[in-house]
Amino acid sequence: MSGEFIAFFVLALLTIGGAVFMISFTRVVHMVVALAFTFLGIAGLYVLLEAEFVGVTQVLVYSGAISILMLFGIMLTRHDATEVTERKGPFKYIAFAGIAVFFIVAFLGIQSAHWGDQQADFTKQNNVKEIGIQLFTHYVIPFEAVSVLLLVALVGAIILAKKEAEDE
Amino acid sequence: MGAYLEQSLGWQNGFIFVLSAVILLAIVLGFVTYSIYFQRKILGWMQLRIGPNRVGPFGLLQTVADVLKLLLKEDIIPKAADKPLFILAPVLAFMPAFAVLAVMPFTESLHFADLGVGLLYYIAISGITVLGVVTGGWASNNKWALIGAMRSAAQMISYEIPLVLSVVGVILMTGSLNLIDIVEKQKEMGMWFFIPQFLGFVIFIIAQLAELSRTPFDLTEAESELISGYHVEYSGFRWAFFMLAEYVYIFAMASLTTVLFLGGWLPPFEFLGFIPGIVWFAIKFCAIVFFIFWLQATFPRMRVDQLMQMGWKVLLPLALVNILITAVLKTVL
Repeated sequence: MSGEFIAFFVLALLTIGGAVFMISFTRVVHMVVALAFTFLGIAGLYVLLEAEFVGVTQVLVYSGAISILMLFGIMLTRHDATEVTERKGPFKYIAFAGIAVFFIVAFLGIQSAHWGDQQADFTKQNNVKEIGIQLFTHYVIPFEAVSVLLLVALVGAIILAKKEAEDE
Repeated sequence: MGAYLEQSLGWQNGFIFVLSAVILLAIVLGFVTYSIYFQRKILGWMQLRIGPNRVGPFGLLQTVADVLKLLLKEDIIPKAADKPLFILAPVLAFMPAFAVLAVMPFTESLHFADLGVGLLYYIAISGITVLGVVTGGWASNNKWALIGAMRSAAQMISYEIPLVLSVVGVILMTGSLNLIDIVEKQKEMGMWFFIPQFLGFVIFIIAQLAELSRTPFDLTEAESELISGYHVEYSGFRWAFFMLAEYVYIFAMASLTTVLFLGGWLPPFEFLGFIPGIVWFAIKFCAIVFFIFWLQATFPRMRVDQLMQMGWKVLLPLALVNILITAVLKTVL
């Protein structure tokens, strides 16, 4: 039993456990905290796959920024906000059927995926450098397009916020 | 330490890992104990007082007694608090403070993980503390704690941006995020990064004070005017954990400043190279810690609106200018 296996086991447990708790908790804030653990577990899995840059970015963006943003949003509303939308009747069965179909499709998809014969070897390369080179040579136009998209979203958010402030 | 990480995990290696982590924890706890003592002594002298001098010789055991008191205190959890999150919050706040030390190189050979993305790791992990602070403030079910948590989170997130952008200059000049590579580059250049990256250094120092919630940015606590911040409902050892996280961050931030801008374990002059690197590291480290306490005794506190304006309207543009200048200089030279 190697250290990698133990680490994978712990991280997988953290990821799945966080996701399951996120669904089963009733208080919204608890859900967000559980979700933060899932994000951390996923980041750990990335690190196990030698993609430490992606892993660290995952922590920075999801566990850090997104979780805190969600907490901010929820906390400023009601303190004891709980989800009590227990729907009865046929809805439950339809949802269950949908999940079953999704599981079968995803399972078959993973089973039939062709990963190539050779395993890619990333162990000796500088992860960050390679990503940087790829991003700024082959994918420079998508990169710039994404940055423009983010800028548009930023400006849009400011305009929306300003409008609300003026209305008051 | 690096050689051990390459080997497969057995009982012996696992034992060494655990043991070295425990030793580091002991060193950090020792630092925290005596940094509080020195803080109180320095503040006392600067304000023409004596400082703690009753418990033990020269008051050396004062902090030990204080910690003992905190540990023996009754464990109080408010009735209306959200119990699981109330318990989880101090852990969430403290854990990242210790985890960031894993990438800190103290000397060439004395370091834990030699991570390619070391600097980014530090910044990413330290962001999780905010989660602990916000959770703690909310779980207390106290409006003052919630306001304190919001303030604290807003301050930490706002100043994280200039903090990250101010070190981009260093990363550009080194071409690596690895903390050991950054020190090696300073050795190669023959000067420490605070000279070519002076603007970045100043922004980093200011932003790090805000990240640590130290004076002049300590308005998340503001002992003299507010009823403390997000941890107003905490007492005993849970409160001690929040405080511990704060002081461990001082340890981590002072180490990071030493490594990034003050040449880590490098001696200031070549002929002083016979003194081991760890001594140089300790001297620079102590100088930064002293600097932080010194500011505490001499600076007034900033107002909230000034704080936000300073972060977004002054430090952020300056950091961007610093990146631009560094990038231009790097391409031209």
